[in-house]
Amino acid sequence: MAASGVGKVVGTTVKPIFSRDLSEAKRRVRELYRAWYREVPHTVQSFQLDITVKQGRDKVREIFMKNTHVTDPRVIDMLVIKGKMELQETIHVWKQRTHIMRFFNETETPRPKDFLSKFYAGHDP
Amino acid sequence: MLRLPAVRRALAGVSQSTKGCVRTTTTAASNLIEIFVDGQPVLVEPGTTVLQACEKVGMQIPRFCYHDRLSVAGNCRMCLVEIEKAPKPVAACAMPVMKGWNILTNSEKSRKAREGVMEFLLANHPLDCPICDQGGECDLQDQSMMFGSDRSRFMEGKRAVEDKNIGPLVKTIMTRCIQCTRCIRFASEIAGVDDLGTTGRGNEMQVGTYIEKMFMSELSGNIIDICPVGALTSKPYAFTSRPWETRKTESVDVLDAVGSNIVVSTRTGEVMRILPRLHEDINEEWIADKTRFAYDGLKRQRLIEPMVRNEEGLFVYASWEDALTHVAGVLQGVQGNDVGAIAGGLVDAEALVALKDMMNRLDSDTLCTEEVFPTAGAVTDLRSNYLLNTKIAGVEEADVLLLIGTNPRFEEPLFNTRIRKSWLHNELQVSLVGSEVDLTYTYDHLGDSPQILQDIATGKHPFSKILNEAKKPMVVVGSAALQRGDGAAIHAAVSTIAHNARTKSGVGADWKVMNILHRFASQVAALDLGYKPGVEAIRKNPPKVLYLLGADAGCITRQDLPKNCFIIYQGHHGDLGAPMADIILPGAAYTEKPATYVNTEGRSQQTRVAVSPPGMAREDWRIIRAISELAGVTLPYETLDQVRSRLEEVSPNLVRYDDVEEANYFSQANELFKLVKQQLLADPLVSPQLTIKDYYMTDPISRASQKMAKCVKAVTEGAKAIEEPTFC
Amino acid sequence: MADIVRVLRRALQELGGHGGLRGAMWQLIRVSDLKIGPLVGVDKYGNKYYEDKRHFFGRHRWVVYAEEMNGKDTFWDLDGSMVPPEWHRWLHCMTDDPPTTHPPVPRKFIWENHTFNMSATPGQYVPYSTTRKKIQEWIPPVTPSK
Repeated sequence: MAASGVGKVVGTTVKPIFSRDLSEAKRRVRELYRAWYREVPHTVQSFQLDITVKQGRDKVREIFMKNTHVTDPRVIDMLVIKGKMELQETIHVWKQRTHIMRFFNETETPRPKDFLSKFYAGHDP
Repeated sequence: MLRLPAVRRALAGVSQSTKGCVRTTTTAASNLIEIFVDGQPVLVEPGTTVLQACEKVGMQIPRFCYHDRLSVAGNCRMCLVEIEKAPKPVAACAMPVMKGWNILTNSEKSRKAREGVMEFLLANHPLDCPICDQGGECDLQDQSMMFGSDRSRFMEGKRAVEDKNIGPLVKTIMTRCIQCTRCIRFASEIAGVDDLGTTGRGNEMQVGTYIEKMFMSELSGNIIDICPVGALTSKPYAFTSRPWETRKTESVDVLDAVGSNIVVSTRTGEVMRILPRLHEDINEEWIADKTRFAYDGLKRQRLIEPMVRNEEGLFVYASWEDALTHVAGVLQGVQGNDVGAIAGGLVDAEALVALKDMMNRLDSDTLCTEEVFPTAGAVTDLRSNYLLNTKIAGVEEADVLLLIGTNPRFEEPLFNTRIRKSWLHNELQVSLVGSEVDLTYTYDHLGDSPQILQDIATGKHPFSKILNEAKKPMVVVGSAALQRGDGAAIHAAVSTIAHNARTKSGVGADWKVMNILHRFASQVAALDLGYKPGVEAIRKNPPKVLYLLGADAGCITRQDLPKNCFIIYQGHHGDLGAPMADIILPGAAYTEKPATYVNTEGRSQQTRVAVSPPGMAREDWRIIRAISELAGVTLPYETLDQVRSRLEEVSPNLVRYDDVEEANYFSQANELFKLVKQQLLADPLVSPQLTIKDYYMTDPISRASQKMAKCVKAVTEGAKAIEEPTFC
Repeated sequence: MADIVRVLRRALQELGGHGGLRGAMWQLIRVSDLKIGPLVGVDKYGNKYYEDKRHFFGRHRWVVYAEEMNGKDTFWDLDGSMVPPEWHRWLHCMTDDPPTTHPPVPRKFIWENHTFNMSATPGQYVPYSTTRKKIQEWIPPVTPSK
C-alpha cells in the first residue's frame, strides 16, 4: 500500500530514511534477521517460553517472509526500525511472556467469512 | 412540542409554507405587506402573526402556550415583544402584523417583559428539576436559562396543586403546571375528547378533568410531548432515564398500518421510550398510544433462543446449527404443495421476499398472509385495489368522505386525526356505513347493512347524489369489512361506488376515490410481493410442512392441519404461533432490524436498528437465507443491500423510500370486478374495534405489553383498579 | 553408624506401615509421602488422621484420605474439602483436642453428611441476580401438546 503510493514519486528526489538503494536496505534486513536469529535462544531462556528454539526461529523467518513483497527502500527501512524496536524490547525484557507469545497468535479465532458461519457467530458480523 | 432542534427547525419551515397547513389563509402574492424585524425588512401575508413573521426571518420568540398545530391562546405572555411606537409590548403569538411595523425582539423592553413573565411563572413552579422527568427537555428550564433573571426575589410560599389520576399512561404533577392550556387545546381540537379544562382563576387556576376521570383518548400520549414543563409526563418512562443519556434512532412504527415516524430512544441496549418524528404526510407530529407505549411488550415474552420440540412434546433450547439443520432436513424432504408458508402482520418486506424466494425454489407457491383480503376478480394484481390511494394527507383536500365498515379511530388513530382536522377546518362531510361508533366528529350514519352499499352503487340511495356532486369525494373501506364471507362483493360494490363518484363528480384523473384502510403493517408489502391473502389455500390443501413467519393471529390451528404436519415458527414473540410449532426460530422485532415496511398508502419506509436482537435472535431474512443454504436452495443474496436489490427487482416501489408509488387502474379494476359473482350477505357490517378497550391489544407486541394490559384494565374497571404508588 | 541404622529402620517401618513395597509405591504416587505415625482417629467417611510429634510443627498432623467418599471414587481425585469441619480444626491446629476425645457440640446447622467443595464444578453455588432482566424470555408451555 505504502510502497505503491510512494512508487510514483520515486523518480523525483525523495529523502531516504537510511538506505539509498535497495541493496543497502536488504543489507539492513539481513543484519536485523541475523540479530533476531541469535537472540531467539536467549529469548526462549529468559522468558521461559514453552517453545523450542527451532520454533522461535521459524516464527522469525515467517514474520520476515511476510514482508517479502515490499520493494520500497524507505518502507523496508521503516519495517527494519520497527523490527529493531521489537528486538530491543525483547532483549531488555521490557516485554512480558504474553507479548512474545502474541507472535504465535494461537488463541485468535479467524473471523467468519461466509454467510452461514457469520450467521452462527453473531448478529451482524 | 418537539424538542429536537432539527425537527423544530423543520417544523418552523413548514408552518410558513401554506401547503399542508390548513389554518393559514392563502392570498395572492401581490398584497404582501412589508414589516421589519429588528430593522430587517420582510414581506409577509396579511393576517400573519408577529411570531410567525419573526420566525420567517429566523428569529425564535420564546413561547409556552403557542403551538403550531393548536389554536392560539395567548395566555402565557412569554412571547411579549416590543413594537416600535406601540405603547406596551404585545403578545407575538396572537397579534397580526400591520404594515410597516418594526418588531424589536431583543430590545430592553422586550427582554424586561420576558424576564418579568418568567419571574411570575417561576414563582409558582417548584424547583424540582433534579427529580423532574422533563429535566433536559423542558421548555421552561431552557427559556429560564435564556431569558430569565439571574437571581430570585421570591420570598413567599409556593402554591401546591393536587395531582390528578388521568389514567395509566400519563402522569400528572400538577404543581409544575404553568397553565399554558396546550393539553386542553390538544384534547379538544386534535383528540376530540373534551375531558380537560381549567377551574378557578388567578392563582387558583388549575388544569384537570373536572371530575375525577380518565383522559380516555387513543392519542393521550401526545399531551406529554406538548406539555412545555414536567406537569404531564409519561408513567412508564418515569424516573428511568434522561434525554441526554439516550441514543435516538429514527425509525418507523409497525403496530398499525399508517407507519408513523418515530424516534426510538435507547439506553444500555434497552428501548426506553418512543417519541414521534415529524412527517407531514403521515403522522404530522402525533403518534397513537399503542405506538408510544407498547414498547414494553418488546421486552417480554421474547423468543431468544431456537427451540425444538422433543419426543415428549416439550420445547428444549437448541443451538442455531441444530435447529437450522433440522429445518433444512425437513424442507429437503418436501416439494411443491407439501410445503406452505403464512406471513403475519408484523413481517418486513425483506423477510417476505426471502421466504417467497425460498418457497419458490422448493416448487411451492403456497404463500399466504394471515390478513384476509378478497382475491376474486384478480383484484390483488392491481395495486390500486388495495391501497389508500388518496393518501393520508389527501383527506385534507376531500370534501365528502364515506367510511365503510371501519372505525378509523381505533384501527388507524392518525388517519382519524386527519379526518377530524379536515372536518374541523375544511368542513369535510363524513358518512359511515357500519356500526355506529364515536369517531370524535359528527358524521352521517347511513346504517350498517351491506345492502346500503348496493343502493349507493346503483344510485338508489340519496347519498349517491351527494357523492356524485362532491368536488373531491373519498370512499374508505376498512380491511375488516373485506374479510367477511361476502368480501369480494363488498369490494366490488365499493369499487363501483368509487368509480361512479369519480366519473360523475368530474374530478380530475389524478384524484383517486377508492381507498382501503389496512390494519397490519406487513399487508401491503406482502400483496406487492405476490403473497396470497388469507389462509384459505392452506386450509383447503393442508401442507406437510408449514412455515409460520410471525403468524400470531391464530388463523390456523393444529386442528386445521394433518397430525404429522411439521410446523416451523419464526418470529419474535411467544404468542399464538409459537406454542403450536415443532421448531421455533427467534427473529427480530421492528426496533431491532433494518427493515422495509409499506404503509397503507403504499409508502415504503424503513426501520433502523435501535437495539440488537435479544439473545440468539437474528434478523428474519438472514434466518431464511441460512435455512436456504442448508436446504440446498441457496438464495442469491448475502447482505441487506443485495436483498434490497432483489426487492427492487420484484417491486421497485419497495425500495423507493418515503415515496408513494401512484397506482392508477381504477376503470380496469372496475371492469374486473364485474366478474365477481358474489352476493352480499345480510349481516351488518361490524368493525372489529368498537370501543377503546379493543384498541390497545391487537398484535403480539401489544399483547405482551403489561402497559397495554393495564390500559385495558383501566378502561374496563376504572382508573382506580390500577392505582400505582406515586413517588413524588 | 547409629544414625544410618535409625534411618534404615525408619525406612523399613515406613515400608511396612504402608503395606510393603507395593503399598508404599502406591502411597508414594498418591500422596508423595510415606509418613507413619500413631493413628488419632478415623472419621465416618474413612479418612484417617495421624499425629507424630517427631515432625516439626505444621507437618505433625496429617490425613490419609479415604479411597471412596460420598459415592465418589477419591483414590486419585482427592480434595482438601473431604475433611469434615470437626477434624479440619484439629488438623489445622486450631485445637489440640481431636473430636474422638472431644466430640463436637451438636448443632442443627451441622451437616449430617459432609459434602465436598463444589467450586468450579457445575454444582457450584451461584448467587441469583437481584437485577431485573432486560429481556424476559417466553417460557414454553410445560404440558406437552402433542
